[in-house]
Amino acid sequence: MNIKKYLALTRAGIMESLHFRLGTLVMTAGNLLYLIVVYFLWKSIFASSETEVVNGMTFTDTLIYLVLATALFGFMEMYTVWEMGRNIQSGKIVLDLLKPMEYRSYLFWSYSGSFVTNFFFTVLPTFIVVGIVTHGAIPFGINLLFFAVSVTLGVMINYSIDFIVGTICLYTESIWGINIMKQVIVLLLSGATVPIAFFPEPLKTVVYYLPFQSIYNAPLTLLLDVNPSSEAVLKTIGTQIIWCIVMTAVGKLFWKISLRQITVNGG
Amino acid sequence: MPSVISIKNVTKEFKVLNRREGLKGSVKDLFSRDYKVVRAVDNISMDIEQGEIIGYLGPNGAGKSTTIKMMTGVLEPTSGEILVDNNVPYLNRTKNAQNIGVVFGQRSQLWWALPLIESFNILKDIYRIGDTEYNNMLEMYRSVADIEPLLHKPVRQMSLGQRTLSDILAAFLHDPKIVFLDEPTIGLDVSMKSKIRNLIHALNKEKNTTVILTTHDMGDVDALCRRIVIIDSGKMLYDNDIEHLKGFFGSYRTLKIRVDGDSSKSVEAVRKKLSGLSVSSDDEWISILVDEEKATVVDVLDKLRDAFNIRDMRLEEISTEEVIKKIYEEGV
Repeated sequence: MNIKKYLALTRAGIMESLHFRLGTLVMTAGNLLYLIVVYFLWKSIFASSETEVVNGMTFTDTLIYLVLATALFGFMEMYTVWEMGRNIQSGKIVLDLLKPMEYRSYLFWSYSGSFVTNFFFTVLPTFIVVGIVTHGAIPFGINLLFFAVSVTLGVMINYSIDFIVGTICLYTESIWGINIMKQVIVLLLSGATVPIAFFPEPLKTVVYYLPFQSIYNAPLTLLLDVNPSSEAVLKTIGTQIIWCIVMTAVGKLFWKISLRQITVNGG
Repeated sequence: MPSVISIKNVTKEFKVLNRREGLKGSVKDLFSRDYKVVRAVDNISMDIEQGEIIGYLGPNGAGKSTTIKMMTGVLEPTSGEILVDNNVPYLNRTKNAQNIGVVFGQRSQLWWALPLIESFNILKDIYRIGDTEYNNMLEMYRSVADIEPLLHKPVRQMSLGQRTLSDILAAFLHDPKIVFLDEPTIGLDVSMKSKIRNLIHALNKEKNTTVILTTHDMGDVDALCRRIVIIDSGKMLYDNDIEHLKGFFGSYRTLKIRVDGDSSKSVEAVRKKLSGLSVSSDDEWISILVDEEKATVVDVLDKLRDAFNIRDMRLEEISTEEVIKKIYEEGV
């Protein structure tokens, strides 16, 4: 495999996202507003409960978790469904299909530059701020390494799910509804909007058997765990690896079948 | 000389849902299995040699784009065989992509926000172009077109003409064997059109690249193509030298005149005066199709000037559409 051609796309992505500076700024402001809403919402939730600890989490725990989840969301969200849908509708997908690499890789690497910029503009500042404000709620140690591995896997799972949903756009030729549905399902079931600890028992069990919690919940748990047992780490990352393989395989197969559909019946 | 593209008896059919009218019909359509088969390309065969520039003509919806999509591998033929540089395009699309370049009229493959040179650099890595080849190519580009002012300009700030020019350069960058140009001069002004034509001509000459050019502009064809292929409703009507076609139709020109007085009456009078020539009229203009091998336009004008007071006149070359119509009506 020649990695150079993929890195060329990453480089292009970095340059492009730096080009739209204002967009990054507005997005950061939007995230900040969202976090203010989250702060007051959870403040009132905890105020209305009698105990300090709800479902094993204090107010500070919950807030740190959600702030980090928001930062992570900003980092991981690739807008793949939008991109694919738009390209399918406009017909630009023909040009992308004619690049000498697989469409799936082409799309991923075209976006990958934004990971780099998002990391420096959202993730890192958020972590530093959270670290300073909470005086070390994020432990520094081996957990950072686990976190990095887990986030990488999370990105891959998230992309695979997006790619599968995007492929559905080939059939429906509409993007908006599908994208919204996907976003709601993923955000809720992954624990990005409400920590999974707050889910009722049966739903919690269901969620643990679904791929979504491997996207946000898994890396965040690994990050915030002060004394991770090696068994817990192995289990979390193992689950992620399995989901990563499964979703990638499903996505590739579905795309292959669908692409045949287009080549036979026109796009 | 071996052919770089060979197409044998290729047919492409699409299944199209029969849509019904009204709200009720739309709801029913959701569950409908009522398809009709549309034949977009019907039993086409041709062989194209390395270095040729082919003019691929036909009215809108004739099946030109479908044929090109089959050659690029985006569509699979329903029946028949296509070989592009000994590859079956739809089976080895990624491999085929290395051998071809494409420009699809209104769409750009360039990176919108970035200066052109960055797009070139990215393409260099994607197509794995060696440093020497890349630099030679840029050197050659400099010699055939004025690219210096374009290189550092973001693509989104370019005019349509500059962008088309850039897209053509991008398509040739990895030195492909074949380049498909789908209506590259659409919407461009006369001077830009001629720049684009010169560029295509130069690139073809320099690199011996095969160019397949679809267009509605006979000017493009005249300037660039030795051989033309015409299709209509998916069927191949013509595949031969342009000289051969000109032999049939090149001597035809349309003379349009405007005369004093009631035009409908004048048409009749003109028709009587010029028996044997096809005369028609739209609004004020009276069109006369003149075959210059029999009578020159000047002769015809002389004849008319005796009887009518000609206020205005125009002379038009026969258009692609008329050529196709005539082939359709009379055969080759």
